[in-house]
Amino acid sequence: MKIGILTGGGDVPGLNPCIKAVVLRAAEQGHEVIGIRHGWGGLLDANPDDPRSMTENLVPLSPATVRTIDRSGGTVLHTSRTNPGRVGAQGVPAFLTGRAVGEGPFDFTPHVLRLLESQGIEVVIPIGGDDTLSYALRLHDEGVKVIAIPKTMDNDVHGTDYCIGFSTAVTRGVQFIHNLRTSSGSHERIAVVELFGRYSGETCLVTGYLAAVDRAVISEVPVDIQRLADLLMADKAANPSNYAMLAISEGAVIEGGEMVLSGEEDAYGHRKLGGVGARAGELIREITGQGIILQQVAYLMRSGSPDSLDLMVAINYAAMAADLAIEGRSGRMVALRGGTYTNVPISVTREGVKRVDVDELYDALEYRPKVRHVGGKPMFLY
Amino acid sequence: MAVIGVLTAGGDCPGLNAVIRGVTARALHRGDSEVVGILHGWEGLMEGETRPLDRNAVRGILGRGGTILGTSRKDPYVHGDGYASVSRTIKANDLDVVVVIGGDGTLKTALRLADEGFPVVGVPKTIDNDIAATDFTFGFDTAVQIATDAIDRLTTTAESHNRVILVEVMGRTKGWIATYAGIAGGADAILIPEVPVPLEEVATILRRRHRHGHGYSIVVVAEGIEPPVKTRRPKDLFGFERLGGVAYQIAPLLEQLTGFETRVTVLGHLQRGGTPTAFDRVLATRLGVAAADLAAEGKVRTMVALRGSKIVDVTLDEGCAEVRGVDRELYAVARSFFG
Repeated sequence: MKIGILTGGGDVPGLNPCIKAVVLRAAEQGHEVIGIRHGWGGLLDANPDDPRSMTENLVPLSPATVRTIDRSGGTVLHTSRTNPGRVGAQGVPAFLTGRAVGEGPFDFTPHVLRLLESQGIEVVIPIGGDDTLSYALRLHDEGVKVIAIPKTMDNDVHGTDYCIGFSTAVTRGVQFIHNLRTSSGSHERIAVVELFGRYSGETCLVTGYLAAVDRAVISEVPVDIQRLADLLMADKAANPSNYAMLAISEGAVIEGGEMVLSGEEDAYGHRKLGGVGARAGELIREITGQGIILQQVAYLMRSGSPDSLDLMVAINYAAMAADLAIEGRSGRMVALRGGTYTNVPISVTREGVKRVDVDELYDALEYRPKVRHVGGKPMFLY
Repeated sequence: MAVIGVLTAGGDCPGLNAVIRGVTARALHRGDSEVVGILHGWEGLMEGETRPLDRNAVRGILGRGGTILGTSRKDPYVHGDGYASVSRTIKANDLDVVVVIGGDGTLKTALRLADEGFPVVGVPKTIDNDIAATDFTFGFDTAVQIATDAIDRLTTTAESHNRVILVEVMGRTKGWIATYAGIAGGADAILIPEVPVPLEEVATILRRRHRHGHGYSIVVVAEGIEPPVKTRRPKDLFGFERLGGVAYQIAPLLEQLTGFETRVTVLGHLQRGGTPTAFDRVLATRLGVAAADLAAEGKVRTMVALRGSKIVDVTLDEGCAEVRGVDRELYAVARSFFG
């Protein structure tokens, strides 16, 4: 059997170990793995009539070629946010322009289906978040066998308690917050640390909880900036080192305002977030007259090597996905539910939105994590 | 018995505690001195906030970030009337000499106080490595290590996404951190204030690299480079401009010139907090020990410095000379790897 594998969306720590583990598991059972480069983009850009484009986009992976890849961060297959079902005029490869009639976006799924068939790729294992997996579901509906592996540093894929990359992102966030403490104290300022997490505040909530920040502003609860500033002033006064530490989710909203977005919509209809920390910091400076240390942790949260938990999940998800693929299953996503490895229909990802349970985990008046009951919750509380 | 005061002023710098420990342990080991810690920088010297430091007070602090004495941005000339505002604390504690651990601004204040009779031994402190009289300052190596680690991680992200990532590092008006971290991280271009490079040239370098099959690049940007759009930056107490964020101005321009997707990471304060590297611990310890010797021997209006592999003493006036930029030979080394 020929198994295709690809990584889509943002890179997270653990992708390379995951790719390696799929290849080894498949090889053990006598199956081949083809690496698809640049996420779904590889299936769009590969032209069966152009051998060069084929070798650029489809790479055979063997135990020998993946032997050392698990030692570095990123993804050896590279990634993209390309959605072959919704390709803008600029993203149309030259050999497909003849089939792009009108202004777009264009749906090149027929090309993808023909390509997979011509290459004998019987099953595709996409490693990705919501957007990447939405196209996986599309292919499944078109009759292609698909086994999905959830990854996002935001842990926001509905249907699984855990996505590859989350633990390392939180580990990094906690480490950076602690590193900023001595500077914030030395300068006696209010530190504003903006964390990745897109529309979900979970990364910020859990990081804030573990780093014991004074306040954490999450995407789910619009913040009254005057009230927040007052709380931070009280925190600063109560701190013997005379500083305060605020974590803020990039998707946070200041009451009366909107999410801070920039750039154009991508192929999945999403724009870039980021900048709310600067805006909040500016307002806090105006209200309190205090100096602000503003820090966006940004890409440093999700770049580099995985911690042991992300390695564990990446390798186990890979083994489980390879086994499901070889068994001939389709439309399944590997998952963790209630602390146990399992698999669920990919369609579950569309059935709900995974967001912080504000009532259970957050004090919306105090703007800080507050875990009301621990018993019965999954390891990361949500 | 000489009484040595010690204070830390200005911003955080990894290795401050190692200096405090070095001064204290050496002074007590000599047997002819005792040490008084002055809290919260100049503020403590003005307000009389002190605590005696014995050997136990400085145990276990070698590798800790921050400063056990605290620091502040207060200044006896901005918030007081110079020497008169600190002399009371000096008399009350019978201080014979004060070891002042601080950066450019702090040392200049110390020199001004010295003109009024303040007995001082300076220890240069800055992550920027730009103090003229010393080959290296403690804290610099840690900042470079943090920036290098970040570049290493961002390289795999840049490669995965086929992007250009601009990594903005600190260094104020000089490009030491950028040049060292750029060389250590294998940067594809390094932009520093000392050597202005037109963005068109940067674009050419990146295009050449991408033409040769490398679909990603890392560009290290020193925070102090001339911004493409002139803006008035706010100044701090010492008249220093607040820097940071210039990479955000450059990114869209570079993206336009090259057509490559370009993202920014500003390392900011992440570079100056946390645990000092072994090199910084050793350097800070040696500087602290040397400062205690100068203080105990009454050699005031001096500053300790690293020259070659030796710790030497220079006059505080030399220590306050114009800050020093990256030497061209070093930058030429980095340049060989551009593109």
